[in-house]
This record gives sequence, C-alpha cells and structure tokens, in this order.
Amino acid sequence: MGKPKVAFFDFACCEGCQLQVTNMGETLLDVLNIVDVVEFREVMSEKWKGELDIAIIEGSITDEHAVERIKEIRERSRILIAYGSCAAIGGVNGMKNNFDLDDIREYVYGSQYHFFPTEKTKAVHQVVKVDYSVTGCPVYIPEFVEVLKAALQGIPYYVPDYAVCVECKHNENVCMFDKGVGCLGPVTRAGCDSWCVNNGNICYGCRGIVSDPNEKGAHDVLSKYNIALDLILNKINMYNKCREVDQNAQGR
Amino acid sequence: MPDNQYAILKKEELNSFISTLSKLNKLAAPVSRGYNNYSFEEVNSGDEIALKYIPTILPPKKYFMPVHETLLEYDISKGLNADAVTESEEMILFGVHTCDIAGIQCLNMVFSEHPEDHNYLIRRQNIKIIGLECNEYCDEFANCRLMDTHLPDCGYDLFFTDLGDYFIVHINTRAGEEIIENAGFFKSAQTRHLNELASFREKKRALFKIELPIESKFIPDLFDRSFESKVWDDLDERCLACGNCTTVCPTCYCFDIKDEINLFLTAGKRYRVWDSCQLDPFAKVAGGKNFRKARKERQRHRYYRKFRYSVDRFSRFFCTGCGRCSRTCMAGIRLKETLKSLIETWIK
Repeated sequence: MGKPKVAFFDFACCEGCQLQVTNMGETLLDVLNIVDVVEFREVMSEKWKGELDIAIIEGSITDEHAVERIKEIRERSRILIAYGSCAAIGGVNGMKNNFDLDDIREYVYGSQYHFFPTEKTKAVHQVVKVDYSVTGCPVYIPEFVEVLKAALQGIPYYVPDYAVCVECKHNENVCMFDKGVGCLGPVTRAGCDSWCVNNGNICYGCRGIVSDPNEKGAHDVLSKYNIALDLILNKINMYNKCREVDQNAQGR
Repeated sequence: MPDNQYAILKKEELNSFISTLSKLNKLAAPVSRGYNNYSFEEVNSGDEIALKYIPTILPPKKYFMPVHETLLEYDISKGLNADAVTESEEMILFGVHTCDIAGIQCLNMVFSEHPEDHNYLIRRQNIKIIGLECNEYCDEFANCRLMDTHLPDCGYDLFFTDLGDYFIVHINTRAGEEIIENAGFFKSAQTRHLNELASFREKKRALFKIELPIESKFIPDLFDRSFESKVWDDLDERCLACGNCTTVCPTCYCFDIKDEINLFLTAGKRYRVWDSCQLDPFAKVAGGKNFRKARKERQRHRYYRKFRYSVDRFSRFFCTGCGRCSRTCMAGIRLKETLKSLIETWIK
C-alpha cells in the first residue's frame, strides 16, 4: 500500500493558511514522510486528476464555478478537510453577505459587473460534506497536525466546544477586559491555545462561535463594560457572517 | 526570652534573603502584571516581588498540578515500552496567602485519597511554602473570614507576618528551619516581638468580620434547602460558561486525560490538562447525552462542590474565600452575592 495521496486546493482565500504548511519546520519533513502530496499549487506545478485519499480545501465558496469545482473534488476524495477559517466557517469572505449581491458586484467590478456572476459566500460544509475542519486565520499548525493524524487514523477530531478564555486562563494572560479592551474570547471556540492574546492581541473570533453561546449574557457583559453592541457584532461578523447560512438551514 | 518557633527578619534584609534563597533553589513569588493583576513567577530578587497583592490570576496550584502534565510516555517501535513519568523539581514558593495555603491543603486531601495521585504527592513534597499574612482585606470580593482561612493555621514551612520594620516568621517544619539556617539574616524572636504579633492579631480579628449574615456551620443546611432555588435561574441567564471561575479556583482539580502520538503512530505521551465542569462538553457522554446541559445546572454544581459535597467527603468547605471566581467573572457573578441571595430566599 502506497502512501496516502493528499492534495491542497484553494478557493476564495489569501492562501495564507497553505503558506502556514511551509512554516511547519521539521514537522513538515515528518508529514512528507507519511503522505504523498500530489497537488499543491503554492509549492509545485504538478496537477492530479485522479482519486485522492485526502483533499485539503482552503477558501470559501463564492460563485457557481467554485460550487462545481468543490463538488468535483469531493467526488474523487475519500476524506475532505476544510482548512482555515474561509473554508471552515466562511471567514472574512462572509462580509460580502452583509450587502446586496448586485451592489457589491458593482462596487468591485464597476459597470460591467454582470460579466462576473457571484453567489452568497458559503463555508465548504454548506456546499459539500466535510469530514474534518481546521478553523483559524491562519490555521494553528499544531491543530492541523492533530487533525491530519486523526484523518490518517480514521478517528474523529473534536474541536473544543468551549471559549478561548479557558486556554487564555491556562496561559495566565491578563484579561483583555481588565485592560478595557473588547475581546471575542468569551464566545469563540478554543483550540488555538489563545495564540493572539498570548501575543498581546485580542481574540478576533476567527475560530467560530461556541455552539451554545449565551447571547443575552454576552449583551449584559458588553453593557457592563460600556462596549457598543454594534461594534462587537461587526467584530463577530468579520469572521462569522456565514453562521447565518447554517442558522437558516436549521430554520432558525 | 528567645523563642525557637519564631524568628525575625528586618525589612532591609528581605532583598538579601530573597537573592540568597533564589540562588539555593528555584523560587517563585507574586509579581505585578499591571491592571491590578498578579501572578506567581520565578524571581531572583526582592524588588521583583509584590509584597502587597490581591490573589494572583492563577492560584499556586499551578505548581502542584500543572495545567499540562505528562503522565506516561510510550514507544512501541521496539516492543511495547511505556514509562510512567513524574516531572518534578524542588522549589520554594514565597508570599503565599493563607487562603491559598488552605487551597493547597484541600488539594492534599483530594490527591491523598485512595488511589493516591503520585504525581501530585511527589511534587507536593518537593515544594516548600513560605506564607505571607494579609494585614488587611485584599478587596471586597474576599470572604476568608467566613471560611475561616484568614489566619495562618498550618500547611506551610515558614510564615511571614509584616510588623512594621520587621517580619516575624513562624517556623513550622524542619524544612523551614533549614531555610532559615541556610539563608542567614534571621534573628531569634524575643518576647517583645511575640507580644507585638499578639496585639497585631487582636487588631486583625477586629478588622476581619464574617462577611455574610450566616455562620459557616449553617451553610450545609442552606445548601440542602437551596437545590431548587430561583437563584440558579438568575445565574443561568448571566453565565457565559467561559470556565474562568473554575480555572482560577484554588480547589478545583478536575482534569481530562489525552494522548498525543507522533505522525508515525509509534511513540507518544499521555498527559492531563485542567478541565472544568462549567464547559459544555464536560458532562457529555457517549451517545451525545449531556447530563448537565444547562448553565444553571453547571453553576449550581460548582457551588455545591465548594459548600456542600466536600463537607460530606472531606469534612471541610472547598471555598477558601480568596474571591478569585468573583473577580474573574466577566458576567459579574459574585460568590458573596449568590450566597446572600440564597440566604435571603431561605429566610423568606
């Protein structure tokens, strides 16, 4: 049995998450020892049209060509991993969904915008079945390695369904709210080891919202700290606008 | 007459004492982190230490049961090899408040129960504790008088009390005595010093008053009658389930055990990491059932673990009155307010 065939594909994204793969250091050599990378536009020119063991998808689905292409990749892939916030939760591309599609097309492409069809931004799982997700902008490499191991073993990977605050407290950071700064840690899914706060930044919510957020409680907290609700909603929507697609699908 | 149980250290000698101590051992003490936040950090000189501090972000339990702790390492590339791991080094904690000493005493009881937790107990043996008395309340969140943890009891090697231009130091163990002998700088305490300590304690007793309208012996009764209280519904609306309250609690000890294996699936480690009953997946079992799904059930569980269940199991409260859970809660859930609401509901 040969090594599992793995390919990277990109959709609407900045390709920064794929670049993170090249930042893996020595772990990358170990990864290349156990998988056979057959297509990866950022680092090689070869293409692969055959069947795949693992397809790693970066980027969100934003037009009809992307829908066709992701369906075609899904059909020939045993396992599909949504890689990075754009793929896993829609990410920053979801901000398009704040606007009327014609208006936004005209804004971007000018008067000839009708030559450029577009659709509401969707995360990959909102179009085809996704087996594993690595959320993050960019992905947190230690988590990607864990997901890869789980995928290769055929076991599930559980994205922590609790707040970034848990890991942030484990790291004994001074709370951003104590510094008078609004932070999305309390409603954002952990798993990044509070990477941003460890480095003096706030949490931007790039890993998606916990499955059962206490929205009323969160509003109370914001008003207590005198932080405008709109400001925080905008911050949440920066990465999480595509949440609405899931909520509509559930009839909420 | 000099007293062998007590020694004194002049204030101007503290820096020399700390520097000497840090050369003999790894030494950790409270350090200011800005924004009225403090944490125990490794120090090399007295200047780094915040002698007046409110309870640190994480309690000193982080040294007794680290957030991440390897328990087992295995390698199956050449036969089945698995070795139990104990990561521990000798160290001294300086400046531990009485509430946190009480927290360590609680953990000692938990981890000494059968089956003993060797990793914890070995580490506990390797850590020496130098306590530091609070001359006044840290802030309004503390309820150490109610929990009776405001005065030094035991659970330390040395205990410092600030009496103006000198510290009087209680020598509680042989290890504490050795620290004093090795470091130098200390003198025997005279009757005058002991009298000053006694009069300081008398003033302190007057300053620290039971913080809530209840005697601690009635708290178990209060909780026996409060399981269905509406107070928990209020917490349900406010709690964000971020887990801060349990992570910073000096007596919360729940952990999860995970495996990390290498990419070749040949070697790896098993480690534990702090867990929390406040988190949604904590009580989720196979099949997807969650037996404490509602935030109010999780918050209620936290309070019962501190004030009711531990009384049956360990004959003591597992709240040390440090106030960390109240200070850290973004939703403003305050332990003293919750207890007060329960008391008021009970009286009605």
